[in-house]
Amino acid sequence: MSLDYVKFSNGFEKFMPKEYRDMVEHGPFGKKVSVSQVGSFKEILEEHPMCAGCAMTLFIRLAIVAFPNPEDTITVGTAGCGRLAISQAAIPFVYGNYGDQNGVASGLSRGLRLRFGDKPKDVVVMAGDGGTADIGFQQVLHSWFRKERFTTIMLDNEVYGNTGGQESGMTNRGAVLKMAPLGKKFEKMDMVQMAKVAGCAYVATVVPNNPRRVESVIKKAVLIAREVGSSYIQAYTSCNIEYAIPTDKVMEDAKEVENDRYQFTEYVSEEAKQYLTERYGYKEFLAKPAAPAAAIPGKV
Amino acid sequence: MYLVADISVEICAAKSCKLCTQYCPEANTILYSDEMGKDQGFKYGSAYVAVDRCKGCAQCVWVCDTMAKNNAIKMIMIDQLPKVALTENITYGEKSTTAMLASPVVG
Repeated sequence: MSLDYVKFSNGFEKFMPKEYRDMVEHGPFGKKVSVSQVGSFKEILEEHPMCAGCAMTLFIRLAIVAFPNPEDTITVGTAGCGRLAISQAAIPFVYGNYGDQNGVASGLSRGLRLRFGDKPKDVVVMAGDGGTADIGFQQVLHSWFRKERFTTIMLDNEVYGNTGGQESGMTNRGAVLKMAPLGKKFEKMDMVQMAKVAGCAYVATVVPNNPRRVESVIKKAVLIAREVGSSYIQAYTSCNIEYAIPTDKVMEDAKEVENDRYQFTEYVSEEAKQYLTERYGYKEFLAKPAAPAAAIPGKV
Repeated sequence: MYLVADISVEICAAKSCKLCTQYCPEANTILYSDEMGKDQGFKYGSAYVAVDRCKGCAQCVWVCDTMAKNNAIKMIMIDQLPKVALTENITYGEKSTTAMLASPVVG
């Protein structure tokens, strides 16, 4: 939980694997890096067993690059595909029982504040749609009502992809899946609306076909969760296996879905807007100057 | 044998959009070298693939063809590539990486 934990112990440097040495010497720890620089520095996400072409992997990769302070971040996850990648990053990862990730993160976030005081330590929950909207639903919603200060990210692939294709609460009505052959009979849950009702200070929906937008959304959500309250990001991360999307068409699908039913939306509470503006210099929430009055013919 | 992405330095170093580096689902796989294009007299550096990490999904091909409209990336059988970049031969620098290209097939 500090820059020191990634550094080499004296005398051990030459025994460390190349990937580890690269990460310590040329990774993002203690620096400001952005998505536009990827490919030029050593990322802290390493090789993982996620499927080829997985959009969820792309989102996780972008999210980890976007963390404002990766050396002071802990991720929390639960059962689901996403944990296979999140756990392969060089930041502490806590893996709870299925669905208790927001309960674990609540305790973790409070404990870190007691231990480190005002020094920001970010807790980020990344779990699938099953872990967030179905099995972990109660703990997710309660953490939001309690205004726990950490970020919840739903990796919404609209299916239980890890267990063979059962429908989840986030599956669209009518979707036919391997383990839902008659098609889903109910509507997709509106978690965005629920997050707003529960009092989240920041709520956004995003699709990973716009890396810079993903970066911007993650940064805002993590910063707001430091002091203002809960933040929630719902990301469409298709399962190309269960929805039979050819791997080279995954981004095309993301674009179509974004245009159709997953448009970028962002809700920022007034308190959060003020906080981002005053503390971190965000200019997008400043009141826009009034447009000059239209010239009236005949008047000087 | 299996397919991996191969980036044409000639096309990439003329445009240098870097979109493929942002859209690859695998970390530390499509990297960028300032020297790779400039060494050959092109304006910019070039992206390249650490083939030992490439899973062959071809998402970068779609991004390069459809979004960037550069058509610089093709999927090629790994044994058809004379020289490739491997993670063990990649050096990270301050703002870029360099790769010593080697034969992909050992022995």
